Amino acid sequence: MNVPSEHLLVLAAGLFAIGVLGFLIRRNVIIVLMCIELMLNAANLTFLAASRQHSTAQVVNLDGAVFSIFVILVAACEAAVGLALIIALFRLKQTVESDALSEMKG
Amino acid sequence: MAEILFYVLSAIALASAAGVVLAKSPMMSVLSLLGSFFCLAVIYLLAGFQFLAAAQILVYAGAILVLFLFVIMLLNLGDMGAVAERSNALLEGTAAKLGAVLALGIGIVGLVAASRAAFRPVEVEPGKGLDDLNALALQLFGRYSLPFEAASILLLSTMVAVIALAKRQRKTDRGGGKA
Repeated sequence: MNVPSEHLLVLAAGLFAIGVLGFLIRRNVIIVLMCIELMLNAANLTFLAASRQHSTAQVVNLDGAVFSIFVILVAACEAAVGLALIIALFRLKQTVESDALSEMKG
Repeated sequence: MAEILFYVLSAIALASAAGVVLAKSPMMSVLSLLGSFFCLAVIYLLAGFQFLAAAQILVYAGAILVLFLFVIMLLNLGDMGAVAERSNALLEGTAAKLGAVLALGIGIVGLVAASRAAFRPVEVEPGKGLDDLNALALQLFGRYSLPFEAASILLLSTMVAVIALAKRQRKTDRGGGKA
């Protein structure tokens, strides 16, 4: 594929901006968690673009690829713990709206 | 050909990402997210990262999104979430938030444009990706062996945390009577 790496970065920036927007305007905690996944994916794409940009036909630089494996791992852990928390929250409050969680005056 | 495919997939990925935010029901959000992740996996493949494309589909689409679907179905949020969200003041203070996000996006694009001179495309010879599995494994078990071990500890602690959360909840359920 003969696309410059900067176009990958622009796509990542767009995905990240959509993720931030969703994180800010949605009230449903599950959708907020999904927006975090979206942002982690954008970070992944940035790592891969960096890895690709620093590679040449002779020398392949895999640092970005290794880091994106770690990002995928952290995303999986975060989803597991986050969803467990959401289930605990739902049993306590019978809702997943973040407006209902105001004990700490957040 | 691959270039056109890349731009088409980018557009679909962005549109599905917008669908995640705009969808009325959480179920549609998960399906939009799935579409976005699949498009990203194909983009990884086009960019020469074959192993990561496979990992993206297996871990994200296969594990994380199924977990999301489980939780949405378990809590029966298919319709209830949509109704609650609509009656909510969804657009309260949206102008300020939209402005903040736009500023962030413009800043990132400016950053990219400023470093434009440094970027050049890398040609991948067909049949051989950038992330050759042997090279990736050598990096992971050589230079990055300490983060790799830390990752295993993170996985273990996540597992313990999730079990602890679920178990404590079950005990309080038994004490407080079932709803």
